[in-house]
Amino acid sequence: MLAMNKIKILGITVIVIAATVVITSCKDKRNTGWEYAPNMYEHIAYDPDQANPNFKDGQTAQKPPAGTIPVGFKTFDYPNTKDGYELAGTEVKTTLPQTQQNFADGQILFEHFCSPCHGMTGEGDGLVVAHGFPAPPSYSKGQSSRGGAMKDLSDGKIYHTITFGVNAMGSYASQLAPEERWKVIMYVHHLQTL
Amino acid sequence: MRSFSLILKQFSRSFVLVASFAICGLSAYAQGDAAKGEALFKTKCTTCHKIDQRVIGPALGTVVTSETDDKWLIKWIENNQALIAAKDPKALKIYNEYNQSAMTVFGDLSDADAANIIAYVRADWKTMQTAKPVAGAPGAAPVESGPSDLVIFGLICVIVLAFVIILVLNRVIGTLERLLLKRQGLELEEEEVEVAVVPVDRLLLAKKLIKNKKFVFFVIICGTIAMGSWSWVTLWNTNVHTGYQPVQPIKFPHDMHAGVMKIDCQYCHSGAYKSKNASIPSLNVCMNCHKMVKTESPEIHKIYDALGYDTQTQKYDTTKARPIQWIRIHNLPDFAYFNHSQHVKVAGLKCQTCHGPVQTMKEVYQYSPLTMKWCIQCHKRTDVNMKGNAYYENMIQVHDLIKQGKHVTAAAMGGIECGKCHY
Repeated sequence: MLAMNKIKILGITVIVIAATVVITSCKDKRNTGWEYAPNMYEHIAYDPDQANPNFKDGQTAQKPPAGTIPVGFKTFDYPNTKDGYELAGTEVKTTLPQTQQNFADGQILFEHFCSPCHGMTGEGDGLVVAHGFPAPPSYSKGQSSRGGAMKDLSDGKIYHTITFGVNAMGSYASQLAPEERWKVIMYVHHLQTL
Repeated sequence: MRSFSLILKQFSRSFVLVASFAICGLSAYAQGDAAKGEALFKTKCTTCHKIDQRVIGPALGTVVTSETDDKWLIKWIENNQALIAAKDPKALKIYNEYNQSAMTVFGDLSDADAANIIAYVRADWKTMQTAKPVAGAPGAAPVESGPSDLVIFGLICVIVLAFVIILVLNRVIGTLERLLLKRQGLELEEEEVEVAVVPVDRLLLAKKLIKNKKFVFFVIICGTIAMGSWSWVTLWNTNVHTGYQPVQPIKFPHDMHAGVMKIDCQYCHSGAYKSKNASIPSLNVCMNCHKMVKTESPEIHKIYDALGYDTQTQKYDTTKARPIQWIRIHNLPDFAYFNHSQHVKVAGLKCQTCHGPVQTMKEVYQYSPLTMKWCIQCHKRTDVNMKGNAYYENMIQVHDLIKQGKHVTAAAMGGIECGKCHY
């Protein structure tokens, strides 16, 4: 009788351990699982990239009203046309101090935002281009679609292109602040000489 | 069905081959050399043009085929600016239609080169035109290869129906047999006795087990251990979302963008180094590339729909635009403050330190537990890099002052910063 019990006890212990493992391991990856005090996780305050029923378009991130300018923001009043581009090319010059630090920042920003297409050396051979995106012209050897050699592009022309985009290139105004654009331009000028 | 589609496929393939050979033969009579033109086209033109689709410039297939004046075309290809400056009406019309965006001047192309390109475009466009009606057949094949939802549902229905029928038939057979037995009379009673004995036996066993104190004791012990360990693990995992992998509205593959293309995380999450939030990219960032590539993918069309973008006219209709509701994975409770820029810019952490190997994730999941213990463990182990950081340099200066035996005022510690009081 006792021998029987031992086997039973052993069996039940094994079953219990197996059950515990099964219960605790099967977790639904589509679900966050149990939450304590969920109102702390589902914020009452609206996060910038979350939905918001108080606005017409349902977004928390609203565009500022048309015509508003942040304090200290320098506007770039050149239209997105060929004339605006040429005008910016002659009138706009960088005001950024040409320091080693700014150059280094420019290189990092260039590698993050430009090199996928333009390549690490500005040859227009980035990885995205290798996978089928139309290749941009080389900074040092190519011809600009708006006339002249790429290596002769001035501050204002490059700034106009980053701000509005051209041909296959989109506008980078939403990803690069004006000062960051000038840092990138510092590095692009270096690549033009390669 | 499958063999039929295979035959169709083979037939269509051979048809396309024959058609393309025929066109190659025909185009040999044309002025230019299409093969030379193809190489030139791919190096000079594909930045802005596709043959079958409007990109930055017009879809060349229709435009070049419908324009019969080759001399004018060659002039335009070599120097479109000269034509526009000379106020050529055709040139001006195109110039204005495309928002006065100028085409590159190709001074390095000879008349023969331009003629070759024209010949290539016309030949390629013809191939596309003849291939199109046939292309429908192989296009239909993938639908047949995988069973559709309807087929699966149908099969399940059939199986369920079959089970129901079997059950009903069983019942009918049972009642019929009983009826038969009833007529015969005697045999029925014997069976009833047998049926009655079995449940009594089972109950007896259960009763015996309940009376066995040792058994009951061990059942209770095991139950307590099971419940205890279950609640222990559950409590530890409450509010911990490790492994959480919700279904996102668009199947964005991080392994393709960050892994294969090696696009930096901050290209899209550009807030990570300058803001509290890493930020989810707005759709214009997607359009930087997807205006041009993968334009046929249904997932990319979700982006177009959300933007109200028309691929034919390449115009945005803001009245049709609506936000895409991505589902947040990494979520900190309101009582914890976390700032991305502090960790990415100041500490110089790699995104993968906390977010795991995102460059290999087809679908993103939460890699780190984001618990307080996890935060504190890292903060205890991480050395602070004080170089080039004004805040820490000030701290070191203040310490030097103390070492020199000088007074340290509140102002030296930033006590007269506006934000100390007016925040």
